[in-house]
Amino acid sequence: MKLAASAIARGGRPGQGSRMIRDLSVMIAGIAGDGVLFTGNVLARMLKRHGWEIVTSRDFPSNIRGEPTRYTVRASLNENYALSDLVNILLAFDCDAVLDNLPLMAANGIVFCDGEAVVEPPADQARGKTFHKFPLRAMAREKFGNEIFKNMIALGALNFLLDLEIDLLEEIISEMFLKRKGVEVVKKNIQAVAYGYDKAREITLERERHPLARKEDADRLLLSGDEAIAFGALAAGCRFFAAYPICPASEISQWLVHYLPQFNGIVIQAEDELAALNMALGAAYAGARAMTATSGPGASLMMEAFSLAGMAEIPVVIAHVQRLGPATGIPTKTQQGDILQWVFGSHGEFPRIVLAPGTLGECFGLTAQAFNLAEKYQCPVVLLTELDMGQDYRTTSRFDLGRVLIDRGKLLTQEELLAVRSFKRYELSFDGISPRGLPSFKKGLHLVESLEHDENGYRAEDDANRIRMMEKRMKKLRNASSDLPCAKAWGPKKAGVGLITIGSTLGTVLEAAAQLREKDIQANSLQLRTLWPFPVRDVKKFLDGCDLAFVVENNYSGELATLIRSQVSSIPEMKSILRYGTRSFRPREVVEHVERAVR
Amino acid sequence: MKKKQTYHRAQPTWCPGCGLYGVFDALKRAAANMDLVPENMVMVTGIGCHGRMNNYFNAYGFHGLHGRTLPVAIGIKLVNPKLQVVGVSGDGDAYSIGLGHFIHTLRKNVGITYIVVNNRLYSLTQGQMSPTTMFGMVTISTPFGSKDFPVEGPVLALAARGTFVARGFSAEVDHLAALIEKGMKHKGFALIDVLSPCVTYNKLNTYEWYKKNILLIEKEPGYNPRDKNRAREILGRTDGIAVGLIYEEEKPSWEELILPEKDKPIAFENLSVRRQELQKIMENFR
Repeated sequence: MKLAASAIARGGRPGQGSRMIRDLSVMIAGIAGDGVLFTGNVLARMLKRHGWEIVTSRDFPSNIRGEPTRYTVRASLNENYALSDLVNILLAFDCDAVLDNLPLMAANGIVFCDGEAVVEPPADQARGKTFHKFPLRAMAREKFGNEIFKNMIALGALNFLLDLEIDLLEEIISEMFLKRKGVEVVKKNIQAVAYGYDKAREITLERERHPLARKEDADRLLLSGDEAIAFGALAAGCRFFAAYPICPASEISQWLVHYLPQFNGIVIQAEDELAALNMALGAAYAGARAMTATSGPGASLMMEAFSLAGMAEIPVVIAHVQRLGPATGIPTKTQQGDILQWVFGSHGEFPRIVLAPGTLGECFGLTAQAFNLAEKYQCPVVLLTELDMGQDYRTTSRFDLGRVLIDRGKLLTQEELLAVRSFKRYELSFDGISPRGLPSFKKGLHLVESLEHDENGYRAEDDANRIRMMEKRMKKLRNASSDLPCAKAWGPKKAGVGLITIGSTLGTVLEAAAQLREKDIQANSLQLRTLWPFPVRDVKKFLDGCDLAFVVENNYSGELATLIRSQVSSIPEMKSILRYGTRSFRPREVVEHVERAVR
Repeated sequence: MKKKQTYHRAQPTWCPGCGLYGVFDALKRAAANMDLVPENMVMVTGIGCHGRMNNYFNAYGFHGLHGRTLPVAIGIKLVNPKLQVVGVSGDGDAYSIGLGHFIHTLRKNVGITYIVVNNRLYSLTQGQMSPTTMFGMVTISTPFGSKDFPVEGPVLALAARGTFVARGFSAEVDHLAALIEKGMKHKGFALIDVLSPCVTYNKLNTYEWYKKNILLIEKEPGYNPRDKNRAREILGRTDGIAVGLIYEEEKPSWEELILPEKDKPIAFENLSVRRQELQKIMENFR
C-alpha cells in the first residue's frame, strides 16, 4: 500500500544540505468542524515519529461548530516545553484564518489557504511571505467525492513542505482507520495524502520547503497532561475514580474508563461534583485509592467535601485542570486563577497538600506520589494543572515505572489491627497521624465524623478536646517538606533576573530566560512544584540569589505572588508578569516585560 | 441469632418521645433478625437529629455532610459490596439539599438501604420548614404559613424507577423493623420513608394525627406490591397516607452491572505496581 514513494525517491535525505531546520512551527487554522484538531493531531504524531520533540497548542472555541480554531505544532531537535513566538507554515481552511493569524507568522512564512473569497492581507503583514491558494475542499470534492478528504490532502501538502517520509504517514493512517473502517478507507485516505503531496509540489518552489534535520524516533511518548495524570493514577493503584464531565478535565476519566476495569477498578460518572468527591471519600474510607478530577465551577462545588476530607482525615486525590474563569468563563481557554482557592479555600482550617506539575513527567510522577502523600498524611492532595498542560500534546521521555512505589502509610491490615491494644481511629499520636482500619475489620469499629470528634471518632464539643484534635490534625504536615517535591531551580545559580512560575507556564519561562541570556541579561528560573505546605526555604534561597524577581502567571491578580508574599518574610523586589487573556504567554512577551523593567 | 443489644452502643439523648427512638429500635431489631455482624455493617448518616444515630448504633459509621449521605454510601458499597450499607437521612437531607443524589441513586439501583426519618421539619435547627412540611403550616421560617407544596419521597422514588419503595411509622416498631429487614435483603436500592413525629416542634403531625391518617397497605384487599399501577394509585389516595411495602421489583443492582470482579472487593486489592501490563499500556503513547 505504498502509493507515493515520491518523497523518498526524490532524495533530499536527512542531515544533508545547509537548509536543514532545527526548530519549526506549523499552524492549522479554520473554524470548529473543519477537522483542525484531527489534522493537528496527525501532524504532531507524524513529526514525533520522525524523532522531533513536539509541543502543541490547541486553541478552540467552547462550542462544537462554527467559530475560529487553530492548532499549532512546534517541532524541534531539542527538548522544548513551550510554543515558539512565530509560526513558519500556516495551513488555513479559510481566508479569515489567514488574516487572524498573519501577525504570528515568521518573516519568510508560507501560507496555504483554501479561500473562496479573495482577501488582500495588509501589505506590512504580507511582506516577505509566500501565499498559495490551495482549494482543499474543491480538490476533495472533485477528486474523492467528499469534502472530508480535505484534511488528508492538507496533511499530504504538509508532508511535502516538511519533506517527511510518507511511509510514516501511511502507517499512522492505517493505525487509525484499518481496524475501525477497513482497508478501502485506508486506501482512499492514502490516495488523498498522495494527491495533496503532488499538488503542493506543483505549486511551490524548492526554496519554500522546510526540511527538518532528522533524528531517530528515540524512546519518546506523545501525550497530554490529562493522560499523563490518568496513567500516573493507574500506575499508583488508583482503583476508584468518580467525576462529573467538565472541560478540560474530562480526558482524565475518559482515559481511565478504558483501563481501570482491567485492574479491577471503576470509573463513575457522578451526577455532579458534590457527589463525585463524596463518592471518592466513601471509597477511600472503605479502602480504595480514590480520585476525582474537575475544573472551574466543579472545583467550587468540591470545596464542601474538600473540608470533610480534611476533618475526617480521608486520603483522596483531586486533580484540578484550571480553565479561564470566573463563573463559566471561557471553558476552552487556559488560566491559573484557582491557586489560592485550593491553598486557602473551603470552610474551616485543615491540612492539605497542593502540588503543581509543570511537565508531562511531573504529571505522571507527582500523581503517583500524590496517592502516597494522601495515605501517609491522611489528607486531601490536590494536583493543580491548567488547560494548556491538560489538553495539549507534547513529547516526553518514557515514564520510569520503577520509580513508582506504593506506600499506604498507617493503614493497618486486619492482623495488625488485632495486635493493637486498643485501636483508636483518631489516636493522638506523636506525629498527629493515626492508624487507619477498614470497615469489616474485627475490633476496629469506629466512626468517621464531620463533626469535631474524640479519638474514637465520636462527637465531642468540649474546649480541651477541640484544641487537642485541631493540633493533632494540623501538625501532621509539620515535617512533611522532606516528602514533598522541592521547588526546582533552572539555569545558573545566581542571576540578575529571576523568573518564578508554576505549571505549564514553565515552558515559556525557560524559553524566555534563554532569550534573555542571548540579550546579555542573566536570568534563571524557579518552578514551584509544591504550593502547600509552602516551600519557604526554596523560595527564599532563590529570591536571595537574584537582584530582581518576577512572578510569571496566567491570572489578573498575581495569585502565586500573593502566596509567596504571605509566606516569605522580607522579600527583595518582586514584580508580577501577568496575562489573563485567552491564551498563555509567548516567550517574547515575558522577555519584553523584563527588558522594560531592567533597562 | 444475635440480640438487638448487640447493636446498642449508647443510650440516645433525643427529646423524650421523639420518633427516632422507634427508628433506632427498629434498626436494631432488623439487624438482629438478619444476624448481622456489626463489623460488616456501615451506617452512613447526614445532618439533622437523625445524624446522632451513629453515636448510638454499634457498627462502622460515617457521619458526613448535610445531604451527601448517598454518594458516600455508594463509594463504600462499590469498593466493598459485601458490606451491609445503610444510609440514614432526615427529610431535609434526603429531599431538599440531597435531592439530586436521591434521584440519581434510585436510578442506579445501588445496593443501599436508605431510611429517611421524616419529621416534616428542620428540628435540629429549631423547626424551620422542610420539603415535607404541609402546605400552610406555621413554622419559625414561615410565620405566615408555608406556601410550598410538600414533596413525597415514595412518589419521587417510584418516578425515578426505585425498585423498593416502602413507608413506615416510627410508632409501629415491629412493622417498621420488618420493612427495614426486607429492604436490607432487597437487591438494589431500598427506600424506607419513615413518618416520625417531632414532639418538640411539630404540633400538627403528632402521633395521634398519624394514627388517624395512616392507611395500612396490608389491609388493602388484593394489594400487590409488584403492581406499579396499584402503587401509584395508593400513593395518590387522599383519604390517608399509605404505610407498608408500596412497591418492589427484581432488577440487577448497579454493583452487579459495573464491578469488573464481583467477588474481589476493590477495597482489598493488592496494589503492587503491575509493571508489565503498564509498560504495554505506555506503548499506546508511542
